[in-house]
Amino acid sequence: MHNYIAVIFDDTGKAYEGLHALWQMDGEGDITVHGTTVVHRDLWGQYQVDTKETQPALATAVGVGVGALLGALAGPAGAAVGAAGGAAIGAAAGGAVGIGADLIRADTREQASDETAFVLGMGQSAVIADVSEDSTLPIDSRMRGLGGVVRRRAWSTLQDDAWYGAYWPSSYLYPYEYIPPGYRA
Amino acid sequence: MSMNSDLDQVRAAAQQLHGAISDAAAKRGNAIKADLEAVGQKAKAVTESVKASVNAQNEVTKKYLKSAVTDLEAVQRHAAEALKNSGHAFEVSMRQTLADARASVQKVSEAVAAKRSAASTKTRK
Repeated sequence: MHNYIAVIFDDTGKAYEGLHALWQMDGEGDITVHGTTVVHRDLWGQYQVDTKETQPALATAVGVGVGALLGALAGPAGAAVGAAGGAAIGAAAGGAVGIGADLIRADTREQASDETAFVLGMGQSAVIADVSEDSTLPIDSRMRGLGGVVRRRAWSTLQDDAWYGAYWPSSYLYPYEYIPPGYRA
Repeated sequence: MSMNSDLDQVRAAAQQLHGAISDAAAKRGNAIKADLEAVGQKAKAVTESVKASVNAQNEVTKKYLKSAVTDLEAVQRHAAEALKNSGHAFEVSMRQTLADARASVQKVSEAVAAKRSAASTKTRK
């Protein structure tokens, strides 16, 4: 199965542990990770994506793309919210994504079997990842052990969404383990 | 441990290429141009290693790898254009180079997943 996942953690440090664990599982051949990023929601409700892009155009693209992807993980209606918020705030702040409303689920398409809606609460962080997995068990049990809650959406359903223009959603995810300098051990 | 180390190495090289391009994009002025020259050479080397790995794979994996070659050739083309361009045209070329590199890693990664999945199905039988 090819899925997008969001793993929600109560703090950023745990989110980076989760990110590392995903790539470790990839290295062991249990799953294949195609891309990852970490998104935070601060205590004022603003979303921020960790990115190394400093060029405004690239940082904006990351903000818009990840914002749309984050919204899309909650369903097609959420994608509209995410893309609009990302466009508005990503352009100004570079890599920051603002989503004005909590994410909404719209059950209009066939979804990953265990998909559920999620809302990233204030102060929480989420690892967003594009993964291939033969079973959901390895990721679920590993992330549960780290205190994370896994949400999924089938990769194929996002390919049909029109919010990404010329780029597909994963193009905004790092295709390797990227941990910003401030979070490295 | 991973069961397809040949493809894992190809993927690691493609990942490094993407990392080098995104690091270059974060720089300014002449520093970017110097990095871009190296990117062109690296992209060529990765293209050759992907091509060399194609024949040993199953059909699904081959399809992804051939598609990755197309993306890697586009990386070379757009990196060369970026070297010649400046201003807005340069930024457009850089974005295309980065997008092509990202697409190439995705294809190689899909190839890895297809190979792992095939191996896992075989083990279960």
